[in-house]
Amino acid sequence: MSGRALPRGFAAKLLLLALGAVAVGAGCAAPLGMSRSAPLRISEVEQAGDARRRASTGLVVEGLDAELASRRERALSRYADAIRTDPGNPFAYLALARFYADARDAERALENLERAQSLLDAEQPYDRSVEPHLRGLRGWSLAVAGQRASAEPLLAEARRLAPVVWDDARLEARELR
Amino acid sequence: MTTTHRRRASARRRGSSPGRDPVEARRPRRTSQLRAWIALGLALGFAAGFAASVVVMRLDRIVTARFDGQRFRVPSRVYSAPTIIYPGMDVALAGLRDSFVRLGYREARGDGALQEGQYSWQKHRIRVHLRAFEHPTRAEPARDVVFRVRGGEIDEILELPKGRSLGAVLIEPEELGAFYGPDHTQRELVGLDDLPPHLVDAIVAVEDQRFEEHPGIDVRRIGGALLANLRAGGIRQGGSTLTQQLVKNFFLTPERTLKRKAQEAVMALLVELRYDKREILEAYLNEIYLGQRGSTAIHGVGEAALRFFGKRIQNLSLSECALLAALIQSPNGISPYRNPERARERRNLVLALMAEQGRIDSAQRDAASAEPLSLAAITADPGDARYFLDLLRAELSDRYDAAVLSGDGLKVYSTLESRTQRLAANALRDGIERLERDFPALAAKDPSRALQGCLIAIRPQTGEIVALVGGRDYQLSQFDRCTQARRPSGSAFKPFVYIAGLEPRAGGPSITLATVLDDSMLELPTPSGPWQPQNFDREFHGSVGVREAIERSLNVATARLAQQVGIGRVADVARRMGIESKLPLVPSLALGVADVSPLEIARAYATLAGGGVRPQINSIEDLVDPEGNTLERRELRHARAIDAGTAYLVTSLLQGVAQRGTAAGVRSTGIEGPIAAKTGTSDEERDLWFVGYTPELVAVVWVGFDEPRSVGVASSVGALPIWRRFVGELTGGQIPGHFPRPSNVVVADVDPVTGARALWGCPDRKPELFLEGTVPLEVCPGGSIAGADEDGYRRTENRFLEWLRRHL
Repeated sequence: MSGRALPRGFAAKLLLLALGAVAVGAGCAAPLGMSRSAPLRISEVEQAGDARRRASTGLVVEGLDAELASRRERALSRYADAIRTDPGNPFAYLALARFYADARDAERALENLERAQSLLDAEQPYDRSVEPHLRGLRGWSLAVAGQRASAEPLLAEARRLAPVVWDDARLEARELR
Repeated sequence: MTTTHRRRASARRRGSSPGRDPVEARRPRRTSQLRAWIALGLALGFAAGFAASVVVMRLDRIVTARFDGQRFRVPSRVYSAPTIIYPGMDVALAGLRDSFVRLGYREARGDGALQEGQYSWQKHRIRVHLRAFEHPTRAEPARDVVFRVRGGEIDEILELPKGRSLGAVLIEPEELGAFYGPDHTQRELVGLDDLPPHLVDAIVAVEDQRFEEHPGIDVRRIGGALLANLRAGGIRQGGSTLTQQLVKNFFLTPERTLKRKAQEAVMALLVELRYDKREILEAYLNEIYLGQRGSTAIHGVGEAALRFFGKRIQNLSLSECALLAALIQSPNGISPYRNPERARERRNLVLALMAEQGRIDSAQRDAASAEPLSLAAITADPGDARYFLDLLRAELSDRYDAAVLSGDGLKVYSTLESRTQRLAANALRDGIERLERDFPALAAKDPSRALQGCLIAIRPQTGEIVALVGGRDYQLSQFDRCTQARRPSGSAFKPFVYIAGLEPRAGGPSITLATVLDDSMLELPTPSGPWQPQNFDREFHGSVGVREAIERSLNVATARLAQQVGIGRVADVARRMGIESKLPLVPSLALGVADVSPLEIARAYATLAGGGVRPQINSIEDLVDPEGNTLERRELRHARAIDAGTAYLVTSLLQGVAQRGTAAGVRSTGIEGPIAAKTGTSDEERDLWFVGYTPELVAVVWVGFDEPRSVGVASSVGALPIWRRFVGELTGGQIPGHFPRPSNVVVADVDPVTGARALWGCPDRKPELFLEGTVPLEVCPGGSIAGADEDGYRRTENRFLEWLRRHL
């Protein structure tokens, strides 16, 4: 068997090329994969931020716990305390938006969602895991308000981003907790 | 027939015979007199009995009406917002120690076991046994908590005994005041089952030891008292039972006449006939007067326990029970605050009587007698919250009768923050007094014509009023200038003009922050003749940038801008942001001629601080009945009033005002952090306004005379220092948070002179904020397209990086 000898270093170059291709592929695929990253759970961000934010988020978690224990009024007090502690905590408004959507009060749900969204919008760094909830909650609230046509695309997007949580087109307190 | 014959005949008819003995003849006459007397006696007896029974029935009706109806009128109490303490808080700024004192917590010596309502204070360790807090939705158990302090900040909160770490602790709300009736009494109703047994024993031992046995009056005791008084030659001892004391307090006047004593005795018997001893004792313990706190009379042992010991009644110790019993005889004379030695002596007498009567043993007596008097600190009446209480009363009176508010014992949980309120009151009072010192002509001889002012502070995200001081002295004037007065806001109105110019609309906004405005002479026709606005310095400044126009509060440029965007549009913006007063559609509206209230201005600026979302103003969080049921609950409401980007641009303008402009004095004491502010001075300096906000607080100060006349100083001299002191003390000079920049606001370089884009080759440039899509298209003179391309490339690159940041 006669074979021409490969240029010196060819294998190494090939390997590098292959690695580069894999890296490019992985890079391209990453956003798609990450778009389905786990949706936000507030207990997971309880320790994030400064002391005040942590205290406030802790109160939001207590509020969600109160909802889980069917103590809805206590939950509202806890959310109010969370806002009093840190008026700029978007998670408090997010929990309130969920609370009101669940209570079929679309107007208040949307009010709080808007506040949450504008605060999240200005957060550095922006937490993408909240995206499915922002879309889903808006869709849910609009559906509660009877605006099915506007609600459906938002809920579909929420389902796509977080299929397990938004499969039933609603967000339970335990799912946000 | 002669007369004699007729007499005889008559006598026969009556049964007498002629010729009888005269004595015999008089007997029937006596008998008839006796009969008449008996008849009279019977008639009088009947009449007296009838009258007595009428009186008794009337007294009985009085007794039953009171006992079977509402026995006690309990004024509704108003509470502050709770204080939330969390790690990272500055101990001094949290006002923790003051809170404990105002709540009636007592400082313990050493660090041993603490009772509920006690605290110990060390440099690096604060320990407090928090009382249980009853609330329908916010109830907290009693907790023994340690705050570990490092560098003046709370480092960690631990709950004892297990040492569990807590993320936050809620300190119960403070009582701000109450909606009193005309008698100005306060009581905390208690049931017999709530009472510690020693309390009843102590009171019975000293006031009425045969209470269980007598029928309302104690004859033995009356006899004993009579003898003692005879020996003493005056009234030294009373013979009244608890029932009589209750009757006296419930139904009668304190005069010492026989008639009143008789009424008292009869009513005491009636009360005992109709009601059992437990009911009588419970009524007595809730009614008894136990002293005075300011203008408020303390009635009942429940209220006294709170005021004297900072405790709920069930937690009183033996010595505290004895002290309360000791006070009954002469609540003010034996007051442990005024006469601690007399109070201690009397307390020990009560303890001795208890031991003598076998209610406690001698060891208990000795131990309790040896205890020092441990009292809650007296805190001043929260007089500075009375304007706020009036606001609440007015608000609630739409839905609740005055009698309900002053008698049904409701609990009003308000939004007022106790510490914030006190700082606001001090800043306003001292600020006005300083003005009067610095400008003696302002000091009026007639207090009713004195220089006045008000300060209101609200949270922009929630609309909660956290401080409200409606005047310099409530005693002097109850008129609340923050909510009831309407005065021209002067330049404090100008931001509405700039919002109207900046907010997006079809065809784009009228201006951007890079627009050059015209500050040359302006004359406008009005129904009352031509109107020529003037600047404060009486000069015109030609072409000026938007920032310069507002930072220097230029009237002419602003008035011209208002004409450009339309006065109707300016008024519309103001209404959307919360101004409800009538706004005349005249050119001078732009310069703040409309009469508005400080509350309205606060709400409108809160909309800016909240990113364009207008909050509903809240002063009440919960309204709870005595049984603990929630009657009302306010929830956060807000609505988008203006675009978030526009709000951010105007906030940026007002930050410039606080940094370089007419409000730059706010920084003079070294306050750091984000502040946006605007001064306002009406014609002839009659009204001085200062409106400033941080990301978490909006505060409005107004200073002026009730009957408008010139104050003669600018708002930066009259109103600004009050705001600066208030916010400086509240934040310790470090304002937290930041104004979040919405995603539709971008930064681009502009030429500071022309406002055009500053690109390659432009002589000067500065970064400016724009709503997305409004960056100027024209390039500065001498700027190059190549540069534009490069700049554009840089922006595109930045956007791409931003996108990546958000999506990866």
